[in-house]
Amino acid sequence: MKLFQFLLKIDRRIIYVIMAALVIVPLLWPLGLGVTSGPRARALFDAIDALPAGKTILISVDFDPSSMPELYPMLTALMRHAFAKDLRVILCGLWVTGAGLADQAVQTITPEYEGKAYGKDVVYLGWKAGVDAVILGMGENIKSVFPVDYHGTPLDSLPLMKEVVRLRDIAVGVSISAGMPGYADWLLYAQSRYGLKVGAGVTAVSAADAYPYLQTGQLTGLLAGMKGGAEYEVMVQKKGYSKAYMPAVAAMDSQSLAHLVIMILVIIGNIAYFAMRRKGA
Amino acid sequence: MHIATDVLTWVAAILTLGIFSFLWKDNPFYKFCEHLFVGVAAGYTICVTWYNSVRPDLFEPLFLKPLSAVSVGQKLLLVIPLIFGICYFCRFIPRVSWLIRFPMAFVLGWASGVAIPAVFQANIMKQMQGTFLTPGIFARWDVFLWALISFVGVICSVFYFFFSREHKGALKLASETGIVFLMVGFGASFGYTVMARMSLLIGRLQFLLRDWLGVIK
Repeated sequence: MKLFQFLLKIDRRIIYVIMAALVIVPLLWPLGLGVTSGPRARALFDAIDALPAGKTILISVDFDPSSMPELYPMLTALMRHAFAKDLRVILCGLWVTGAGLADQAVQTITPEYEGKAYGKDVVYLGWKAGVDAVILGMGENIKSVFPVDYHGTPLDSLPLMKEVVRLRDIAVGVSISAGMPGYADWLLYAQSRYGLKVGAGVTAVSAADAYPYLQTGQLTGLLAGMKGGAEYEVMVQKKGYSKAYMPAVAAMDSQSLAHLVIMILVIIGNIAYFAMRRKGA
Repeated sequence: MHIATDVLTWVAAILTLGIFSFLWKDNPFYKFCEHLFVGVAAGYTICVTWYNSVRPDLFEPLFLKPLSAVSVGQKLLLVIPLIFGICYFCRFIPRVSWLIRFPMAFVLGWASGVAIPAVFQANIMKQMQGTFLTPGIFARWDVFLWALISFVGVICSVFYFFFSREHKGALKLASETGIVFLMVGFGASFGYTVMARMSLLIGRLQFLLRDWLGVIK
């Protein structure tokens, strides 16, 4: 009983230290547990992989820096996949505080691929207020919503935007979303009204809410949390599309160990609780 | 080990440690970081909103562009959102705070009109279609099994929220089965939440160890 009493009274800070150690050690000395790609991530990968060169995909950056560890690896992996396949990428965003993140990704990933240039292969439209009005407007005419890009360049002067007028000219749209607004808005307006194929990358917190849309076929594929990002990174690298550092894959050992410890703590906590209750303590 | 020389990386690292210090206990350093975050986020939001939306879509065409570029009709049309926007700020003046009802009414009416058909189509019709047992599900046993579980889960979960009759007999069995499905759903959400929180911790530690201290590649 003393053991159970002790377990139930462990200072939370001791648990924090254990968790920190378990996360840091595999980052310093990777265990190489490996990442396997699930059918949901594969569905999105295959949808983009099947597109012929020259097609355009849309990536909506619907998150802010607080969700960066989970979602930014998805964004970079998707862009690398698109560039390696000679697809063109249009980015936009529904989150005002995430406006700079897409630009950062464009500045980082574009130079990795020889011959890829801003305006010809990639355009970042930026952010506009309105969410549903923005998506509906893009369905009719992208230039009516975004006359200029994020840097203030008129869209008429960008070669890519001469061929892409509305959402129907885009092959696949992916919303990388941390909540509302996000993939649900793209489904509501872009998918159901303009027939845009929509895939989603979501934070793990909101993953359970996205599954019903996958089951009905409304979502083309789903990347759930950092694990989803790692799955996509692995597929991109396995196909030889990129040799860049994979932050989500590098984090998976830590994630696995942390989950293991949390499971053990939950089980121990329950055993101790019920044992104490039986004794009337 | 290659410690960062970039000042901004150092600022980000120190602020990260400041936020982490809350794990030990609440302290002034944490409070400073928290308030700084709120202030910076609000300031950033105001600037981006001004430069990306208000200025190019309203202020410039209404006040800065000449009549040769924007016609009188277009300018008059822009006066409507300008007045609605000003009405929002009337909220701060008690005597005229009722004026906020006009833009609110417009936004609610417009948003409802746009959203209701779309929500009905995407969230109700499509989801009901996805729950139906159609001949196609008999093609493979695993597809049939999952479709059956989904069907039973939806029906029983809906029965749990059926309050017009006392839950007895078959209704009790259905609603209690519904609770099992709901609990599985909550469990999955909780598991994913744990994963999300750990991911955020790992992301920050990756930043500290890689970008700041340079001890990992």
